[in-house]
Amino acid sequence: MASFVKTGRKIVAIGWNYSCGPLCSVSGAKPLLKHAKELNSPLPEKPLFFLKPTSSYLQQPGAIEVPEGTVVHHEIELGVVIGKTGRNIPQSAANSFISGYVLALDMTARNLQFEAKDKGHPWTVAKGFDTFTPVGDFIPPSKIKDYNNLQLTLKVDGKVTQDGSTSEMIFRIPKLISFVSSVMRLEEGDVILTGTPEGVGPVVPGQIVEGTLADGTTKETISSFRFPVVGRPAFDSDQ
Amino acid sequence: MASFVHAGKKIVAIGRNFAKHAKELGNAVPEKPMFFLKPTSSYVQQPGAIEVPEGTTVHHELELGVVIGKTGRNIPQSAANSFISGYVLALDMTARNLQDEAKKKGHPWTVAKGFDTFTPVGDFIPPSKIKDYNNLQLTLKVDGKVTQDGSTSEMIFRIPKLISFVSSVMRLEEGDVILTGTPEGVGPVVPGQIVEGTLADGTTKEPISSFRFPVVGRPAFDSDQ
Repeated sequence: MASFVKTGRKIVAIGWNYSCGPLCSVSGAKPLLKHAKELNSPLPEKPLFFLKPTSSYLQQPGAIEVPEGTVVHHEIELGVVIGKTGRNIPQSAANSFISGYVLALDMTARNLQFEAKDKGHPWTVAKGFDTFTPVGDFIPPSKIKDYNNLQLTLKVDGKVTQDGSTSEMIFRIPKLISFVSSVMRLEEGDVILTGTPEGVGPVVPGQIVEGTLADGTTKETISSFRFPVVGRPAFDSDQ
Repeated sequence: MASFVHAGKKIVAIGRNFAKHAKELGNAVPEKPMFFLKPTSSYVQQPGAIEVPEGTTVHHELELGVVIGKTGRNIPQSAANSFISGYVLALDMTARNLQDEAKKKGHPWTVAKGFDTFTPVGDFIPPSKIKDYNNLQLTLKVDGKVTQDGSTSEMIFRIPKLISFVSSVMRLEEGDVILTGTPEGVGPVVPGQIVEGTLADGTTKEPISSFRFPVVGRPAFDSDQ
């Protein structure tokens, strides 16, 4: 399903899905919720998700747009591309619905998101501006040995800001597919963004954002992308 | 764009666009349009049924939908009408208890608005059938009893403003649908009931479009199995 950017009908993004690294689970101590914690959000008991419009997809050689008046944060994520229609998908069948993967960013206007949360308003605008879902190339399943053992790294102007492992996910991919499909039917070309590790932060016009997905053991790069950041002027819809 | 149900890429729903509806839910009238997304997987057409998921209180919200005919962003109000390919009568079904919970916690509205069958729609209405979109009557009946009966003249933000504002955030594309808000009178539906909606000319009262959907239950699904 390499054409999901053009034909896909929805992007489902999971929120607050990263705990701390492998060391925490080895020690048996209660995991620190690094990303959830850095945003002062309590641990979810079930997956939290929201929609990003497919109009927000961005591919190279495009640029990420920061709308005037917004503080935009990067959130690097592993995306799962859905291969066939299903609803109420049991976890045991979840993998059969995956046609591939993609490296993605869930760009977020953080100031607007905080405002929306305070007022109990939708997150739609904060998450849905044009270019707010930069993606790399479609990754066929043969390139992913174990989706629970992948490294996500994000650099801004060459400096590493996010560097986490998919092993830190609170809710695993089969649970995410099952849970989302129990609300909304999944269809071929849909993409599920599976959450982001700690280290989110702002990007501003003029900066360069680079993301990498690598095998957790061999450290071999599976996918990468590079996007410049530009400004988007305000538009007066009252004209 | 009669195939928007199958080919459309998004449904953008405007909230609190009728003053009395905002009031009946205890909400302030917004200073700019508030909107959210419903997934296209939520479309249902006749002869389908509206599903009420176990554990939810589901409300009907009858709305006029605008179908977009071409791609655009930062669309000035003066050009907005040229982006309309037609209209559709629709329901923005809402799991009200889940929405109230989400609002309290500052969580997304996505689940409350996004269950399968939560966007029932009638047939595509070509522009020739709508003389003035500011003069249409929206009427909703549950089991034959009128619950919603309002005019699009009550909209706080008009269609050109909605198209312009939404397009200043997210590019609009052919087949997208904008649900333009609901009048007062929202309320629950339960399995076994019949929901009927009508769109009529505000002056002649002649029906332009109508639909009828039965309501059924949707059992809970345990995603932890």
